[in-house]
Amino acid sequence: MNILTEYESKKLLAEYGVPVTREAVARSKEDALLLASEIGFPVAMKISSPDIAHKNAAGGVLLDVGAQDVGAAFETIVANAKKHAPDARIDGVLVQEMVPRGTEVVIGITFDSQFGHAVMFGLGGVFVEVLDDVSFRIVPLTEQDALEMTEEIRGHLILAGCNVGAIVDTILKVSEMAAKENILELDINPLIACEMGVVAVDARVIFKG
Amino acid sequence: MLSKVLEPDSIAVIGASLNREKWGYRILDNIISGGYLREVYPVNPNEDEVLGMRCYSSVLDLPHRVDLGIIAVPAGSVPMVLEECGRIGVRGVVIVSAGFGEVGNTELEDRVRDIARGYEMRMIGPNTFGFINTQLHLNASIIPQMPETGGISFVTQSGTFGLALVDWAASQRMGLHLVVGLGNKVDVDDSDILEHLSADRHTKTIMMYIEGIERGRRFIDVASGIRKPVIALKTGRSQAGSKAALSHTGSLAGTDRIYDGAFKQAGVIRARVIEELFDSALALSISPPAGDGIGIVSNGGGAAILAADLCEDLGLHLPDLSEGTIRMLSGVLPAIATPANPLDTAGDGSYEMFKAVMDIMLSDPGINSLLVIYVHAEMVDPCLPAEAVIDASEGCDKPVITSWIGGTGIGTAVKLLEKNRIPNYPLPERAVVALNNLVRYKRILQKR
Repeated sequence: MNILTEYESKKLLAEYGVPVTREAVARSKEDALLLASEIGFPVAMKISSPDIAHKNAAGGVLLDVGAQDVGAAFETIVANAKKHAPDARIDGVLVQEMVPRGTEVVIGITFDSQFGHAVMFGLGGVFVEVLDDVSFRIVPLTEQDALEMTEEIRGHLILAGCNVGAIVDTILKVSEMAAKENILELDINPLIACEMGVVAVDARVIFKG
Repeated sequence: MLSKVLEPDSIAVIGASLNREKWGYRILDNIISGGYLREVYPVNPNEDEVLGMRCYSSVLDLPHRVDLGIIAVPAGSVPMVLEECGRIGVRGVVIVSAGFGEVGNTELEDRVRDIARGYEMRMIGPNTFGFINTQLHLNASIIPQMPETGGISFVTQSGTFGLALVDWAASQRMGLHLVVGLGNKVDVDDSDILEHLSADRHTKTIMMYIEGIERGRRFIDVASGIRKPVIALKTGRSQAGSKAALSHTGSLAGTDRIYDGAFKQAGVIRARVIEELFDSALALSISPPAGDGIGIVSNGGGAAILAADLCEDLGLHLPDLSEGTIRMLSGVLPAIATPANPLDTAGDGSYEMFKAVMDIMLSDPGINSLLVIYVHAEMVDPCLPAEAVIDASEGCDKPVITSWIGGTGIGTAVKLLEKNRIPNYPLPERAVVALNNLVRYKRILQKR
């Protein structure tokens, strides 16, 4: 089993045309400041480690970081992560653009031994499992399948102000990716949807084998 | 070619027995008493005669090659018997014997699979109750009674439960064509049967009881190409998602949600309980698909409102009536009745009232299907409103489904509705659920 970091996961998603946040991994405080200046303030900063799945729980996420706080944020995140998981490999800190507010949805892939890859769509964010409002289809999906998924969740009215076409496109791109890559599981959570389109804010790819 | 198995011209019952307790006796007895008119050969090395027929010691001694071998011998003897079937060119076999994968004996199961493949014989089972083909009057199963002939074919993975269900369906006089117990599905699986039923001209509706599907993508591909309604009950819904999941997607997945999605892609209507499966299969087999836009008519206001509530629960739409409809209804309804949907005739269950309001409701452009509920009162002959339903639905392309509510007094009326192929249910909730599935089927057809 091979788990990609958020940064690696989104690079793969971007290869399939899924819009992702502008971001890069900083190895040092100085590096972080340089990257953040290029991206534009404020930024989000997240621990980048293949061994830390729940970045928030590890104290590894700081949002809305301004220019004067980047260095301290870098140190805090790395220290928290080391305390939380002393043996974790740490690549650095992911410096990422802050995305405007929107509706948090989730798109994922799972592998079923009888049906093969299945794609999930639902309401996302930290409450995804509590809301439990998701829909599945078996790969490959048609455009109609993807559209139905957005229509059949209980909370479908929440999507009223979103660009559903962009969500459907993303579902189809993920379906294509599932078929081509040797993926065991994938979460894009959240994918932030608004009137303009969608952007993957966090993602996690787990390969088979 | 499954047709040689399910529509055989000749059958060998291997393991035919004199012992009434044995399946080899019961199957042969069912074949003969069911009225199968083609050739049947009992095979058992220990008997000379079974049920008055000459018994052959091996299939190798049969005077002719047979299409179908039904095998009911102890599991350990199955490979040898199967070899012999292969050598004389039997087209396919049904292995009733148990003691294979279902008890962990996968090695024996694999051997049996290999032998059947080697001789290119199709194989149903092992561990199946057999099958019934009512068109051929063939009861090649241990089901104690032959169902009536009809357009529904029933495929079940469950053995004992499936057996009881078919027996019950037969006692309800449900019209069936093929009944197949898939057993362990070592060769023939759900998708193979679906392919056969898709092409089978006697099958109008396919009803399935599924515990698990192994080659899921193939199932979707086959089912989505079928031009007949397929309704399935899939059990095992309570299974939680994989505990070892590493992602939200993995932990939310769960087998049942995957099936839900797969059935939607396959255009298979999913039933939640047995009653829904059977009730809806009946409606799907005799009624055209229904458009949403439900009209409700009853001589009892309570029943009409209950049905309207249930429609809303299922997301069915009860449209407001057009002005013209309201005007026409006002002309025929008693003064105390309100021309609205759901429509209450204020107790009037006469032929004239039912016929008049049905004709008017069915002519409303917003109404695409009609549910007619008759609530029995002692003073009324329940056959009269039933005749109104039959006459009003004659030549009408909008589906009409009914619920005649009452005790023994309505028996004749219920038979009348059945005879005239009106889907009728003893309670409005069952009628609404069946109607909902007619609407779901129409949506499936529109999607294709």
